[in-house]
Amino acid sequence: MSNGLMEIKAISGHRGGTPGQGVSRDYDVCKLVDTTTCIGCKACEVACLEWNGYEFRDTTFDNTYQTMPDTAWNFWNLIRFNEVDNGDGTVSWLMRKDQCMHCEDPGCLAACPADGAIVQYRNGIVDFNQANCIGCQYCVTGCPFNIPKFNNVTKKVYKCTLCSDRVGAGLEPACIKSCPTGCLHFGSKEDMLALANQRAAQIRENTSHKNAGVYDPEGVGGTHVIYVLHDKDKAEQYGGLPQDPSVPFFVKMWKGPLKWLGGIAMGLGVAAVFGHYVRYGPKPVDEDVEQGRLK
Amino acid sequence: MTNGWVDIKNTDMMLIMGGNPAENHPCGFKWVVEAKKTRNAKLVVVDPRFQRTASQADLFCQIRAGTDIAFLGGLLNYAIQNNRYNKDYVSNYTNAAFIVKKGFKLPEDGLFSGYDPAGMKYDVSTWNYEEGGNVTGTAAAAIAAGDGPATSDSASAAATPVSMKAQANGPKGAEGQGHQAGGPVGVAGKVGAAPAPPALPPNIAYDMSLEHPRCVFQLMKKQYSRYTPEMVESITGIPKEQCIKAWDMYTSVRKDGDMKKVGTIIYSVGWTQHTFGSQIIRTAAMAQLLLGNAGRAGGGVNALRGHSNIQGATDLAGVFDILPGYLKVPVPADTDLKTFLTRTTPKAAKPKEWDSFNYWSGTPRFMVSFLKAMYGDAAKKENDFAFHYLPKIDKKFSWVEQWDNMYTGKVKGLISFGMNGVAIGPNSKKNIEALKKADFLVVCDIYPEETSSFWESPGITKEDQANIKTEVYRLPGAGFAEKDGTFVNSARWLQWKWAAVPTPGDAKVDQEILARIFLKVRELYQKEGGKFPDAILNASWAYTNPNNPSLTEVAKEINGKALADVKDEKQTPPEWKAGQQLPGFAWLRDDGTTSCGNWLYCGSWPESGSNTQRRDNADPSGLGIHPNWGWSWPMNRRVMYNRASCDLNGKPWDPTRKQVWWNEAAQKWVGNDVPDFKPDSKPADHMGPFIMTPEGVARLFVPLAGMADGPFPEHYEPIESPCDNPLHPAHSNSPVIKRYKTELDKYGTAKDFNIVCTTYRLTEHYHYWTKNNPMSVQLQPEPFVEIPVELADELGLKGGEKVKVSSARSTYYAKAMVTRRIKPMTIAGKKTYQVGIPIHWGYKGLDDGRPEAERTPANLLSPTVTDPNAYTPEFKGFLVKIEKA
Amino acid sequence: MSSNVVVRHGTDLRGDEIVRYTLKERMCHWLAGLSYLYLLATGLALFTPYLYWIAYVLGGGPTIRFWHPWVGLIFAFSVLWMHSMWASDMKTTREDLEWRKGVKAYVTNHDHLVPPAGHFNSGQKQFYWIMYYGGLTLLVTGLIMWFPELLSNGGGRGLHWLLPVIVIVHSAAALITIGGFIIHVYMGVFFVAGGFQGILWGHVPAAWVKAHHRLWYEKVIREDRSRTSSTSFKQGADD
Repeated sequence: MSNGLMEIKAISGHRGGTPGQGVSRDYDVCKLVDTTTCIGCKACEVACLEWNGYEFRDTTFDNTYQTMPDTAWNFWNLIRFNEVDNGDGTVSWLMRKDQCMHCEDPGCLAACPADGAIVQYRNGIVDFNQANCIGCQYCVTGCPFNIPKFNNVTKKVYKCTLCSDRVGAGLEPACIKSCPTGCLHFGSKEDMLALANQRAAQIRENTSHKNAGVYDPEGVGGTHVIYVLHDKDKAEQYGGLPQDPSVPFFVKMWKGPLKWLGGIAMGLGVAAVFGHYVRYGPKPVDEDVEQGRLK
Repeated sequence: MTNGWVDIKNTDMMLIMGGNPAENHPCGFKWVVEAKKTRNAKLVVVDPRFQRTASQADLFCQIRAGTDIAFLGGLLNYAIQNNRYNKDYVSNYTNAAFIVKKGFKLPEDGLFSGYDPAGMKYDVSTWNYEEGGNVTGTAAAAIAAGDGPATSDSASAAATPVSMKAQANGPKGAEGQGHQAGGPVGVAGKVGAAPAPPALPPNIAYDMSLEHPRCVFQLMKKQYSRYTPEMVESITGIPKEQCIKAWDMYTSVRKDGDMKKVGTIIYSVGWTQHTFGSQIIRTAAMAQLLLGNAGRAGGGVNALRGHSNIQGATDLAGVFDILPGYLKVPVPADTDLKTFLTRTTPKAAKPKEWDSFNYWSGTPRFMVSFLKAMYGDAAKKENDFAFHYLPKIDKKFSWVEQWDNMYTGKVKGLISFGMNGVAIGPNSKKNIEALKKADFLVVCDIYPEETSSFWESPGITKEDQANIKTEVYRLPGAGFAEKDGTFVNSARWLQWKWAAVPTPGDAKVDQEILARIFLKVRELYQKEGGKFPDAILNASWAYTNPNNPSLTEVAKEINGKALADVKDEKQTPPEWKAGQQLPGFAWLRDDGTTSCGNWLYCGSWPESGSNTQRRDNADPSGLGIHPNWGWSWPMNRRVMYNRASCDLNGKPWDPTRKQVWWNEAAQKWVGNDVPDFKPDSKPADHMGPFIMTPEGVARLFVPLAGMADGPFPEHYEPIESPCDNPLHPAHSNSPVIKRYKTELDKYGTAKDFNIVCTTYRLTEHYHYWTKNNPMSVQLQPEPFVEIPVELADELGLKGGEKVKVSSARSTYYAKAMVTRRIKPMTIAGKKTYQVGIPIHWGYKGLDDGRPEAERTPANLLSPTVTDPNAYTPEFKGFLVKIEKA
Repeated sequence: MSSNVVVRHGTDLRGDEIVRYTLKERMCHWLAGLSYLYLLATGLALFTPYLYWIAYVLGGGPTIRFWHPWVGLIFAFSVLWMHSMWASDMKTTREDLEWRKGVKAYVTNHDHLVPPAGHFNSGQKQFYWIMYYGGLTLLVTGLIMWFPELLSNGGGRGLHWLLPVIVIVHSAAALITIGGFIIHVYMGVFFVAGGFQGILWGHVPAAWVKAHHRLWYEKVIREDRSRTSSTSFKQGADD
């Protein structure tokens, strides 16, 4: 993987052309999380913290093996543990690595007003640039996966970078590197999809999970983190993975038609007064008024 | 492991039981995943809890802790009833065809023949084969003559007096040999003034039709016919439909005796930590032998070791009754080296027409070379190679026994290295009390841990502290990343590791601390003499830096070298000069011309350099053998007993997994792996593939003193059990188990303690260390007890609330994890609950928010009682009660 | 206000100038006006990428994001302050209803057809109320947008889905005020000569008052006759 993959593809809150566009790209990157082989060992949680240099934090026992209820601004990678009652007397214990999904149509980027705070690279990585972040947290609202997290001290929002720093240097993300079972894979989107589909087919044919499938939701244009699920129609049971995610309606309205309507209205307003001035000019000045005398 | 971690990828079927590798061996677990992904291998998990490994299973059965033999016995029964075995393998590679002595009795009533109730032990004279060679075709006659196994009445009556007499003098005879590499079993009988021990007959009677009523196969069939699905359900709590499903799934690899497929059994301390732990593993071995899975790629019986170097510790005398390489520790009756060697060197015992390699016949060569390594020039032929410098044990000195001795005042001090005795238990309270009575305690660790802080344990008062006279020393040890040396992993691979960082502050590497203590002790002996200074003064200590021996030197010493020129025309090269490292244990001599610290490791550091430092990950065969990565004992064999991967003619059972084979042209065994066999033994010679037994075949039936508690595994209840043994209520527990008698050794009953409790580890923590590490603490911050939803409802308990768990011995505090992953069970017709406690917490480590008095170690709860063969305490499956705290 | 304040609305200064806005009123107005300008500029920067350059001019995105809410508070304060002074003046009167009928004539400069207006004409009043209610809406929505994390409950996002709705309301309110603002500036600076001078210096020629706010002019004359004026222009300016 070359640095060429890190060309910028789109920039939030940015007007005009995108720098670096048109340079040939190698391929999209993709992380494959095979939930059917995840044992919830949390090596990826630790690797993520260590690579990104975050401190360890106090946690509280919460009747679960899950490290904490949710990801945090300085804890980007969380294994979600889900005890599922199968209804036939058996249970399943589903573990899912939760992190930024790196959407092809990122809701965070769409919602972000700050120039250059969110960057989507050609290779599919959606990255936050805190130097440009204004802390408005629109990205939090824009994300269908509840990923961006606000730091109340720095007033910035943070999330998984898909280790853009490592990927840019030709390395795999830290979580991939740390995975002991080979549940995590990293490569081109094409390859990962092929691998995921092959694995899902194998599970369907050889196990009791007849509805195994790949999670690569269309609602956000596909993602650069994809899952193999035991049951592709039950995404929700993996700790609230949305079955059919999309950028929230209000965000779409706000960032789409309403923005344009507002802009047009303002333009029209200015044009109207200008037109009025041209047509009617200023109010005629009464001589008396001019001279400060009463009639 | 008979096989290895990487080899798991070759399997078609896995039974993981008594272990939770996804939890405790996540890196090794990758090979389980690999087998599932690349071979569509199936995974059956049997465990008291639905844990991380179960989350990956194709089939999970929730078993009551401590009833594994019942489940596996049922599996044996199912396999026999449904023709799920290969007759060629079973009759030629195991002792299935051997005829057992008349008078041997199966334990229908809970007792084998020969039980001595007074001594709580067995006379093993009926646990033997019959003499007589091939009797095939005589089965019908035998049946007609009523020549079956003894019934309860006749056998026990006949055997008891013999055993009483044998008991009168000398050390306990029927002690087990349940250690990993076997050992020269079958000859470790009575010593001292007792008469000569019973021996295996030289020409064993056998019936290749497997129909003789007293052949091992028929006895085994009879023994496990009692383990019906209904009985197994009643004991284990697993519904019989599920049992059958699991048995069917696992044994499906041997459908109609077809040998193509292979299944593996993977276990860990969930099996060993019982009063019948060794017998559980025996049952698994029997299953693998019956199914023809032993010796084969993707098969075997695979112990997962719980520490990075536990295998190494065991190989180098981890238990009190073995020397390095599983040689026996001498006893007082071993009046000289010859007596010792006669006692401990087995003679081949087999049907006359068969051949047996009998590898332990090399015992004298291994032993003398070991003595030379220990005592150097002081070990001479004239003084029996300093044999008498070795201590001779007159009783058991197991871990639990030693702490008991300290508690009763017989042991006055303790040097504790690499363990946290109070926390690892069992019965931490007794251990704390024992330390209070000691004169001194030396602990070497990297953190202030529970043992060296026993005087701060929960509930202790200022007055108590004032009364403690124990002098405590803490030595600054080095962490794993601060020292070099080898780790021996579960797969028996010796892998050198290099120190990553220097030791901080005053911390010292282990060998420096030990060397300094040793040299100081030697100095004192030199000055003051003492009772028996020779063993200390003459111990070989020829290191460049005696105060801090380099581990390279130690590793080379363990490997062994020629002390004089040694020649062997059959080998290439045919000679090694004095001073050269030896390439393998075939070169070891019993005349003092070689030295070797551990014969099993001979070949790890030959003249060409350290094999343990090899890092070539090439795998030409694709079987995960990686012949040039590190080095595995014995002789870099990756799969032990691999001769059994071939049929009688020396052709692999499965041509797609070719490990070794007989090369007719070269007239020798060759292969991708190193053949674990006599290289030039023709298939026609009928040499048994299990070369470590005197019989040459594997033992479905363990004769003589091999196992203290019976030649066949039988289900006994844990010492604390919620019910009487449904098989034989009168003998609920194993009859040879010793209960300790001090006032702190209480054993609970189901009347007062109604819940079955098991203990275990978590991925997020490493024993009692990582509670000091903020990263691990973040991942699992507080101690908890896993409690079934139904029990929590009965107690009015919600997840996260504090609970008090009590056993007959003490009390443990933690928060409740209310879960659906443990379900209520029906045991012997009664609703029974099971809970689980992770062991990682105690009264040291980062603050976990608990009040001082509630920072209790989990092993406060577990009982002081051990397996009779391996002396492992029963940490799994004791009784507790639970209240809201 | 103490009763001996002598310079007040309508005070006839030197006979031909009338005090239209006191210093306090002018301060309040310009506080509102300038803060509004800042809010407008920074708000527009955040509203559309096409105007994000304004953010760089004003110190960068994070900077304007930091100041926008604080300035918003200043604006809200000025609006409320203004309200405390002008609320009663801004009530719609019967004359306003009349004036509105002539609004077409007003914008097309047929002023002789426009009914007379008071101190503020109805257009001004409408603008006032737009800014007042718009300001309040912006304040409430702005406060939430200042701390969107308050919408979250613990780790979850809770009411976060409301944020875009709030942002849309904020934007809509801003747009409406911007509409008013455009007209206000246009009228004050370009369309009606003398208006800007009034809000700048506070006093306007009496004739201007008579031309644009006849009713108020008449009221001033009436009141002026009923009391003695001894105030100097200077004093008035120092009030």
